[in-house]
Amino acid sequence: MSFDAELDAKGLNCPLPILRAKKAIAELSSGQVLKIVATDPGSVKDFEAFCKQTGNELMSSSEAGGAFEFMIKKS
Amino acid sequence: MSKRLSAEARRESIIEAAKALFAQQGFHGVSIDEIVNKVGVSPAILYRHFKSKEELYQAVLQEFSCTRESYVETVVADDISFEEVLRGMTRVFVNSIVNHPDLLKMEMHSQLKGDQASREFFLNRWKSFTDYIEYNLSELQTQEKIEPINVQAAALMYQGMIREVLLLKCLHPAERLEDMPIDNLVDELIKLFITTIKFKK
Repeated sequence: MSFDAELDAKGLNCPLPILRAKKAIAELSSGQVLKIVATDPGSVKDFEAFCKQTGNELMSSSEAGGAFEFMIKKS
Repeated sequence: MSKRLSAEARRESIIEAAKALFAQQGFHGVSIDEIVNKVGVSPAILYRHFKSKEELYQAVLQEFSCTRESYVETVVADDISFEEVLRGMTRVFVNSIVNHPDLLKMEMHSQLKGDQASREFFLNRWKSFTDYIEYNLSELQTQEKIEPINVQAAALMYQGMIREVLLLKCLHPAERLEDMPIDNLVDELIKLFITTIKFKK
């Protein structure tokens, strides 16, 4: 899946990954995609809630080797 | 004791009883016998749900982490300042302890005699604050919005303040702070903290 910007939030606890994602998304244009990699297991629920509240689309959410990857499309 | 409880309700009642005992006596101070006596079941029934005391302890922590503070709501608002987010996060965190003081008691026991997993669990809860403070203060420094400070020391200072409030308000309510509700106390401390980091006008 292609993306326009990437955010490394590994090793950070909520809410920092969310805050940094919010800033990164602010710099994208509508329709562009941000890829986020995080290690906090709570980030799965947090990014779901984040997208629900901000109206951005959570295109995918996956886990591999202890890291969580999210693709968010700016609304 | 009723035998009509479903397996799930039984599991829940064991966790509830264990939570209170672990909070009072710590992991090592509680025996399986005490837990089963409190629930009113046989050890065999307990072991049907939890292989060991360790597994039961983890289940209690797991339950707390289900009520894990979600800070999402606090941080999605537009144009929200460092101070407002910090206050919002602290409110959520403080309320979680006010509602579950057992969690704070378990943390204290874990500090003294905990295994690595439980210490990490509690440390991780504080890490949300220290990460947030260290990252943002570094950024504010780069933007020259605050005076140069040691961000790790600032994060530690904050953690220390909040932990002390929780201890004095939730464990053994201190008389001299009786007249100040916990939310006011927290607000005052946040004000002091913000003054300390010296935002440039």
